[in-house]
This record gives sequence, structure tokens and C-alpha cells, in this order.
Amino acid sequence: MVTKRDREREKGDSSASMAAKAAKGKVWEEERPDTGMDELLAVLGYKVRTSDMPDVAQKLEQLEMAMGTTMEDGITHLGSDTVHYNPSDLSGWVQSMLSELNTASPSSNFDAISNQTAGSSSTTMIDFSNGKQLGDQCKIYNDDSEYDLRAIPGGAIYRSDKESDRGSGIKRMKSSSLEPEFDDSLTVAAAESARPVVLVDSQEAGVRLVHTLMACAEAVQQENLKLADALVKHVGFLAVSQAGAMRKVATYFAEALARRIYKIYPQDSLETYSDILQMHFYETCPYLKFAHFTANQAILEAFAGANRVHVIDFSLKQGMQWPALMQALALRPEGPPAFWLTGIGPPQPDNTDALQQVGWKLAQLAETIGVEFVFRGFVANSLADLDASMLEIRPSEVEAVAVNSVFELHRLLARPGAMEKVLASIKAMKPKIVTFVEQEANHNGAHFLERFNEALHYYSTMFDSLESSGLTQPNGQDLVMSEVYLGRQICNVVACEGTDRVERHETLTQWRTRMDSAGFDPVHLGSNAFKQASMLLALFAGGDGYRVVENDGCLMLGWHTCPLIATSAWQLAGGDS
Amino acid sequence: MVVPLNTWILISNFKLAYNMLRRPDGTFNRHLAEFLDRKVPANANPVDGVFSFDVVIDRGTSLLSRIYRPASADGGVPSIADLEKPVGSDIVPVIIFFHGGSFAHSSANSAIYDTLCRRLVGNCNAVVVSVNYRRAPEDRYPCAYIDGWAALKWVNSRPWLQSPKDSKVHIYLAGDSSGGNIAHNVALRAVESGIEVLGNVLLNPMFGGETRTESEKRLDGKYFVTLQDRDWYWRAFLPEGEDRDHPACNPFGPKGISLEGVKFPRSLVAVAGLDLVQDWQLAYAEGLKRAGLEVNLLYLEKATIGFYLLPNNDHFYTVMDEISNFVSSNLCSVLLLGFLVLPFLSAASGNLSKGAFETASDWEMCEMIAAGVFYALHCQISVKGGAILR
Repeated sequence: MVTKRDREREKGDSSASMAAKAAKGKVWEEERPDTGMDELLAVLGYKVRTSDMPDVAQKLEQLEMAMGTTMEDGITHLGSDTVHYNPSDLSGWVQSMLSELNTASPSSNFDAISNQTAGSSSTTMIDFSNGKQLGDQCKIYNDDSEYDLRAIPGGAIYRSDKESDRGSGIKRMKSSSLEPEFDDSLTVAAAESARPVVLVDSQEAGVRLVHTLMACAEAVQQENLKLADALVKHVGFLAVSQAGAMRKVATYFAEALARRIYKIYPQDSLETYSDILQMHFYETCPYLKFAHFTANQAILEAFAGANRVHVIDFSLKQGMQWPALMQALALRPEGPPAFWLTGIGPPQPDNTDALQQVGWKLAQLAETIGVEFVFRGFVANSLADLDASMLEIRPSEVEAVAVNSVFELHRLLARPGAMEKVLASIKAMKPKIVTFVEQEANHNGAHFLERFNEALHYYSTMFDSLESSGLTQPNGQDLVMSEVYLGRQICNVVACEGTDRVERHETLTQWRTRMDSAGFDPVHLGSNAFKQASMLLALFAGGDGYRVVENDGCLMLGWHTCPLIATSAWQLAGGDS
Repeated sequence: MVVPLNTWILISNFKLAYNMLRRPDGTFNRHLAEFLDRKVPANANPVDGVFSFDVVIDRGTSLLSRIYRPASADGGVPSIADLEKPVGSDIVPVIIFFHGGSFAHSSANSAIYDTLCRRLVGNCNAVVVSVNYRRAPEDRYPCAYIDGWAALKWVNSRPWLQSPKDSKVHIYLAGDSSGGNIAHNVALRAVESGIEVLGNVLLNPMFGGETRTESEKRLDGKYFVTLQDRDWYWRAFLPEGEDRDHPACNPFGPKGISLEGVKFPRSLVAVAGLDLVQDWQLAYAEGLKRAGLEVNLLYLEKATIGFYLLPNNDHFYTVMDEISNFVSSNLCSVLLLGFLVLPFLSAASGNLSKGAFETASDWEMCEMIAAGVFYALHCQISVKGGAILR
């Protein structure tokens, strides 16, 4: 019994949404070529081309027959030992399992059933989103050689030891003046992204506080500074009566608004203590650990089979990411490769050689675990000051290169042309893999009010997660320092503009577009990385609300259902470098 | 093919994935399950007239629910202060939804259920609260019911969900598969609690029992579902050592309780004709009827499981219509009144056409009919003759 009313409503709904999208200026998405995907399945998270559907159906049937024949062995194998990638690509996923079953039971007679190439242990997975073959995405990965979670450092690794003279020359870069090149073609329009909101305490006073903050931001946007001034004071008054995360968030936002109103911008000693603050953040909550862990997983997989490896770390800080990777490399069955690490960092205000200190500590660790290790440090005001030629990268036949960046790349968006330059340098480094972790938020919108609202949502959720983690921390100071760390970001997003505003976070969708345009292909993170990241979170006390989510081959960590950071991996477009 | 191609692919994909996740020893590959499940975040920006946001309604158990609301007529983007703005119209149904997944799979933020809940909002002009209850085998009976009850209490105590007409929250419980089972059990818990549940909507509810019914034998393995997997899920959910005649699984079975004289809400039960557990679902509807409770049974002969996940078949539209009618009528007596009216209407019109009002009672009859019809229209009942009550 068909109800016309409902049929029309379905049609009506979709045309209404199309109109709405167009009205909001999202024209660029509609100009993309029609990928011919089944719309109904797309809404449910599965990307299948309409033309591929009969083929996918047939493969599903084949799989069912195959599993019926192999019975429980085949199924258990697929469930526990196989690494799965990118479940949204149904066609690829189903194909990879068919091939998996073929190789697992060569004696069976369903080689004839599958029309695809069988017999090799790796399958090419067709990623239809760019029509190219990615190659070797579905290798059978032995989960026994697991990443040693214990290797993730806490405070213990950084005792103040005697430092042996292991570090090599530290090169200093003179900060060159950048010619502003504003390249319009790579400006990524902020896509109309989802606004995930998780409320934890819905008290009336909290709502009033948020209301006042937003009214204040609106007044600032309209340059009604007298009203803004009155409102920001009112926020301070309301915040006092709040408890917990809401009070802290409100206080930081109020302070940032006040700075904007009175034009008292933060001194550029922002770099001072930033490493220390990040260390506390590292201890208090799992975001950084997750970032390091997932990036390392991708790097480890990319380095498989290489005898010399070279990691270029755009965000060395205290080098917390590397002990675990070095440990994992040391445990390789074939023995560790020679490991070169190039660390990049900003000049220190007190002129200490922070990079060298980090290098020495890592060198010590390398010695204890038997990994041949070389460290190079580069001081640079901006990543855009670097050139691939400065980094002593050896040809790709000799060494496998990984470029890594954690919460660093977005800063380049403050200077026109800087991002493009850095992406070009990365390509010149001929990396086997590029890994970066970024905040999953749109804090780089053109309008202040929009940025303010996004940031308010984002940091409220962040602070809320800290609040839960903080309850189990023996050291209360860690929590406070972590909040200061985040508070600085808030200040930058809200109070600064132009080249000073460096916390220009963008969403994974925006990063994907940018990387795609710049000539990179995605490298998918699989179910093994997902599982281990989830297990890592379970170890983390106070972590009941943290969730790992797979998103088109990338992994995101969020608080409850709100994703907060995203790890993605990339390679040069067009196959192996 | 019995179903459209994309439905076949969707359900077969789930079947394949779920086969991999269930281990013979009764454990569940939760990490892989979470990896494979397609999830969507909440979205406070309205999409197709609906926006959503998540609330942690119990910090202790991390119990989360996703709230879906109709966007305001001007399509404006709700600010964080607007999310819990009091509901507008006179009467706003609040549907507490329990997603399916045989107690083990899916979440409130699974794409299939996020989509379904959004459709319910638009279809019923309702607020939908989708509960992210704890799942088996990690959290067996009665955890899911406890979470459902917590959600019911939470919804009932939100001032912003009260309908302006009577300052009460107009609550309906709904669910598919295991969610249907949870809805029944939460309604049961609510009896005598002072919290009124206006109706239950059960789509392919998950029930069972020790005996093998005719439909189970006939349809085993025929349409995506096997008896073996049904058994696995019950073993994973029910307390250790219990069999399928446990009342959670078999509410009107040997260990069940009678609902006679119990103030249990009226129910809309949709049964798919190609679902192997239909005999249990039909027995459930029978059990409610035997207890004198109002049941609206929708038997969809050619439907398979999951037919309501995609709007590409007639059954989908049928069910959406029925649910919409179900939550827009508040008093069961009005429905019956509508039915009572019809025969009298035809009788009275017969009298009128003869031009005779012979007795005073004829007048009274006319007035009653007029009042009844007027009242039925006022409450937007669409009387479909014999089709509604089977």
C-alpha cells in the first residue's frame, strides 16, 4: 500500500535539502562529477556505485557459499586474523575477503568461483573515489607482532640523566622572509560540516552562561564594544556560580573575548612553556597518546621490509612519539632498521638547545634497545622555511622516509602560500608515508561568530573529557596545566587575527580535499590499528567516555560521540614512491 | 529477488559481518564490530528539517541518548541554548527509541538508526530520543532494560519535553528487533510507577522460546537469518544457565506473567511475513489481546527483516503511516468511538432519508454521531475500515 503523501515527502525532502545547500553557498560540491553512487546506501555509510551493485551482490553470494564450505575456520580467520580496511568501500571490502578465503584454502574448489586474481597474499584494492589502484592495501597482517603498548612513555623515560655525546650537528636556520604568495586554488572552502554536540550537564545556569557568551561574541562581531564589555563582565559573574568544566571553559572564553575587546593581545612568549604544557596534556588525557600511537602504526606498516628508515618529525617537542616506534622496530623479527630521526622545532626564547637534548635522550634509549640511531635537529620559525634538500634525505632505494606532524600543520594556514610550499617540500622528500594528526574542528571559518561557536562546542567537549580523566589523576597539577594548554588555544582562536592566529584547525574533510589537490593518495588505517587504539584507551584510567571511530580509512578519537582529533596517512599519488 | 538490490546488499553485508563477529564460544569480537559499524555524529545543524544532539543522561554508566528534534519553521540553526528549548505545539509526542541489533550489535549513532530516527521525527512531528543501551554479551539481561528505564525516567522528568497543552510528557516507546523487546519490558516496568506510556511501537520485535515453531523451521536460513544465530544471541543476552523460556525472551510462555488487568499501554506490532520468528511475534500480539489490551497488528506478508531501514519498498511507507497515526491519537476510546460511529451513521442516515425522526432518541443519536465524528476528525484519526484491526 503506497502512500503518495510519503513518496512525495521523500522527494520533497531531497529537493529541499538541495535548495538549502545551494543557498548556503555549497555549490562546489554539486559541481563535482556524478559518481553514480547508490544514494540510499550512501546515507547509511556505504559507498557503492550503482553500476557495481550487481557485482557486489554476486560477491556477497560467493562469500556466503565459500563460508558455508569452510565452516567455522574460514569465518574465525576472517574475524580474528585478517586486517580489514575501509568498510565504507563495500566492493573492496567484500573482494578482499573473497581473496583472503581463496588464499586460506587453496585446496578448495572455489578458485573457480572467484573471477579475481587469486594465489597471492596481497590484493589490490580498487578505491573508486579516485579510480586508481592503491596497491597492497589488504595485505594479510600477522597480528602477533603487536605493537608494544608498554613502550608508550610516561614520565619515567625522561629522568635527568647524564647525556652522552651522541647527537650530531644541529643546524640552525635563519628565518627567511617569506614572499606572500596567495594561491587561491588551494584555498579550501569550509564545507558545511556537521556540528556534533554532546551535553553532559544541562543545567539552566549553564545555558544562561552559554547564551551570554554567544551574545558577547555577537556584540564583538558587530563591533558594539560597549555591550560586549558589559556582557563579558556578566559572564565572569555567572561563571563563578558554575562548577566543573563549564566554569573553566567559560572563564577561558571570557578572557579571550576580553582580550579581543580591549585589544590586549597575548605576548608572543606563547612558545615559552608550550612543551611543558603539552607534556602535562600528554599525561592527563589520551589524545596525544592516541595521536602518536596511530601515526606510529601507519609508519611501522610503511617501513615493513626497509633496512634504513628516516622519520622527519615536524613537531618534535619532547620527542614522546618515538620511543614506542623505536621499540617496535627493535622487536621486528628481521631485526631493527637503521633509524634516522630529523626533528624540527622552533627557536627557544632562552636559547637552549631543546632539540639536542631530546636527541640525546632518544639516542640513549636507542643504545639500550640496540637500534642504530642518528638524530638531526632543525630549528625553524616556520615549517615553510625548510627545504627538502636541507634535510639530507637519501634516495628512496636506500632509505624509507616518513613525514610526521602532530597538531602542527594547521599553523601554516596563517600565512598565505605557506601550506602549499610545505606540501611541495614534503613531496620533494619522496616519503613512503606522510602521517598527520589534527584537531577535528572548523576553527578557521571566515566569520568570527561562526568560529567562536564552533570553538565553544569543541572546547566544552574537550574540557568535559578532561574533567572525567582528571578525577583519576594522582597529580592535580597535570590537570591544571592541561587546561592552560587548551586555554592558550582558545585565546588564539578567539582573540587573534592574521598571522598571529595560528590555531587554524580544519576538519578531516577539508584536509582530504587539500591533500587530494596537492597530489597525495590516502593510506588507510585498518582494524588492527583500531583495535589496538581501543585497547590503549581501555588501559587509560578515567577513560570510559573515549571512543575510536573509523572514518573512510582514517581514525578519530572523540569524547562519547563527538570526534575531537583525527589521524590520517598519505602517500604520493600514483603508486609507490 | 524478494527485496530491492540495495536492501539485499545492505542486509547481506550485515549478515556477513555479524557471522564474523560471533564466536562459537559465546564471546563477541567487539573491536571489529565497532570498526565495521558505520556511525554518524549528531548534528545540531538542521538537515532536512531535523537536528540532533547527544546527552549523557547517566554519567555513572556513560548512558548516552541522541535527541532528534524538528527544526524551527524558519530553518534557523539552533544555538546550544536552543537545544533544550521547550517544545512548541500543543501536543508533541516524544518517542523513546531502542535500536535493534539482537542485543549485541549497533548503537544509537549507527548510521542506519540515525537515519531511521530522523525519518520518524519528520513523519510523526515528534521528538525522538534514541537510547544507547548497554549490549550483550558484555552486559547481559537486565542491563538493557535498566538503561531503558533510566531513559524513560529521564525523558519524563524533562520540563522542556512537556506538551504545553497539559504540561505532561507524551511518551511512546518504540524499537525494532531487540529494541522492540526492550520497549515491551520497559513498559512493563513503568506499570504502577506513575509514569504513563501512551503506546508501544514494536517493529519485528525479538521474542523466542524453547520450542521450535513452524515459521522457524520453515524459514530457517531462507531470508538472512538462521535459528543458529538467534540461539546465539539469546545465549549471549539471557542470564547464564537460563533457557529461552525465560520471560525476557518468552513473555507469554510457561514462565511468563499474565497482563490481565494490568494498565499496559496500547501496542502497534509490525510483523514481517518472511521473518523466521514471526510465530513468536504473533503469539506476543495474541498474548496482549488475551489480556484485553489494545493491539494494532500489522502483518506484512512479503517483508523481510530490516524492511524499514530503506524507503524503497511499500512496507516502509505502510509502517511509517501507521506509526504516524498511532502517535497522533491519544485516546484509544476515540478510535473505538470512530468505529462505533460508522454503523450508527448508516442507520441514522437511513432514518433521516425516510424523513422521520420518530423518537427523541433519534435526535440524541444524531447528536452523539455528530459529536463523535467531529471529535474523531479533531483528533486526526483516519478510519480505514477493517484494515486497522486485524
